[in-house]
Amino acid sequence: MSIYLPIAELSVNIFLLLSLGGVVGFLSGMFGLGGGFLMTPLLIFIGIPTNVAVATSANQIVASSISGTLGHWRQGLVDFKMGGVLLIGAFFGSILGVWIFSRLVAIGQIDTVISILYFALLTGIGLSMLIESSKVIRDRIRRKSVKRKIHYHNWAHRLPFKVRFYKSKLYISVIPPIIIGFVIGILSATMGIGGAFILIPAMIYFLGMPTSKVIGTSLFQIIFITALVTILHATTTFAVDAVLAFFLILSSVIGAQVGVLAANKLRGEEIRALLAIIVLGVATKIALDLLVEPNEIFNLSVIRLVF
Amino acid sequence: MIKQLIILFYFLTGMLTPTISFALVIGSDQEEIYIDANFSGEELLVFGAFYSDPSQSRDSKSDILIEVVGPPEDVALRKKDSYFGFWLNSKSVIFRDVPGFYYLSSTSELTDEFLINNQIGLLEKKKSEMIDWSLLTTDWGSIINEKEKEEFYNALIRTKQNDSLYKQVSDEIEIIDGNLFRSYIDIPNTVPVGEYTVNLHLIIDNQVSQEYSYNFMVTRVGIEEAIYSFSKNYPFFYGLISLIIAIIIGWSGAEIFKRFRRI
Repeated sequence: MSIYLPIAELSVNIFLLLSLGGVVGFLSGMFGLGGGFLMTPLLIFIGIPTNVAVATSANQIVASSISGTLGHWRQGLVDFKMGGVLLIGAFFGSILGVWIFSRLVAIGQIDTVISILYFALLTGIGLSMLIESSKVIRDRIRRKSVKRKIHYHNWAHRLPFKVRFYKSKLYISVIPPIIIGFVIGILSATMGIGGAFILIPAMIYFLGMPTSKVIGTSLFQIIFITALVTILHATTTFAVDAVLAFFLILSSVIGAQVGVLAANKLRGEEIRALLAIIVLGVATKIALDLLVEPNEIFNLSVIRLVF
Repeated sequence: MIKQLIILFYFLTGMLTPTISFALVIGSDQEEIYIDANFSGEELLVFGAFYSDPSQSRDSKSDILIEVVGPPEDVALRKKDSYFGFWLNSKSVIFRDVPGFYYLSSTSELTDEFLINNQIGLLEKKKSEMIDWSLLTTDWGSIINEKEKEEFYNALIRTKQNDSLYKQVSDEIEIIDGNLFRSYIDIPNTVPVGEYTVNLHLIIDNQVSQEYSYNFMVTRVGIEEAIYSFSKNYPFFYGLISLIIAIIIGWSGAEIFKRFRRI
């Protein structure tokens, strides 16, 4: 059974879409990730045009991060003030990102740029997950427990415009979070990701936020960033496909909840290592597409008139 | 499934014009193809009949040629080149008003010469094998040499063929009982919307003896049309509604499963 996507202007198998959303949702629920970094390339692999894949992924991430934020919010693990400051940067970043995106579409280089960005992102994510999980597995075998420093004092504490973030127990300048938000905004708009993978380490290591508040705050921030990106794409690139988004959201929300349940029952590290390998596999596929001489060196795109 | 039957009589008899010895009747099972939520491509049936005049000599050879031309569109064709081992888009050409869909089918293999003489086909090649570029509207950009232009032209046809949007065949017309014919034409799910023209040629002894054309439409209908036009006319509200749907499903998903977990 297939469904015609009105914006992508092609039909796809409905079960393929539902299983894609379900699997990505499952992984995101299990690991507390947005899943956009897998969703966008997988959509491109099944033949969805790059611009539609990016814009629609952003819309899907709104749903999955709302689901995730609620849980953290109830437990009081969201630093709204920090989220707000990050959003100031993200607001301008995503406007710039959508502008860059539409320029790249116009000059015909969007596919290449997206491929290179995704290759870099996925390789980074995959390798760091693989290293981290193998370390944990090794430590578990040696029965070692890893102690972490709670608080880092670095250059972020020496800049002007310092503000007190009570929830995170921080007194730092607003400049670093604004810059981080700005960068995440650009990446979110051009790649169709929430950016948690970059945001979370940045919040821990650059801002020195407590780990417990990081996930909730980043999810909270991602809701707004991807909401903004969705609106910006809908109005400038016209690439948000509501039908595609509907099926992906439906299946990924269910998948995410199942993933959360599964995460409590399964041992994390082995599955994390497996996810790392999947991520690296996707990265390799993208790299091969860039490096191996293609069968067809010409590609055709219809120039659509925007009314 | 025959939604609508249109049979058009082009010539009933050859009596009024004695030089014309064949009569042509043609129809199609649909005069409109609807793109709805379930659309996954369709098969268009084109059928007809031709009656021969008994006075015509028996050894004259007759052929049928069916051409389907989709609505014009502008396309950008980009060529990849290797830069430091990476395959990146480099040169590009914009072709204007090329058919979004093209299908040519005949009962026997047609020579290039025949197609050129009768102005059939995507782009007529002159006898010297050179393409007549004046028939194409293009933005060549930095491409000036003739060989490269031809490479791009061939790539245009090839990439469209790979997407099943261009096709030229000589074995898809079925002849039944000597003077009835029918042909199923694959309309893939990626076809552009708009007006399509079906041209039918009856060829006798390598001469076009009869021609007939009619149009059909490919249109978006129902929810597909509603979503498409809403996204184009009210992009902000379209984005907003997409968001609201995401919020509702995301929120309710979390609530529903929260209850599950308590049990």
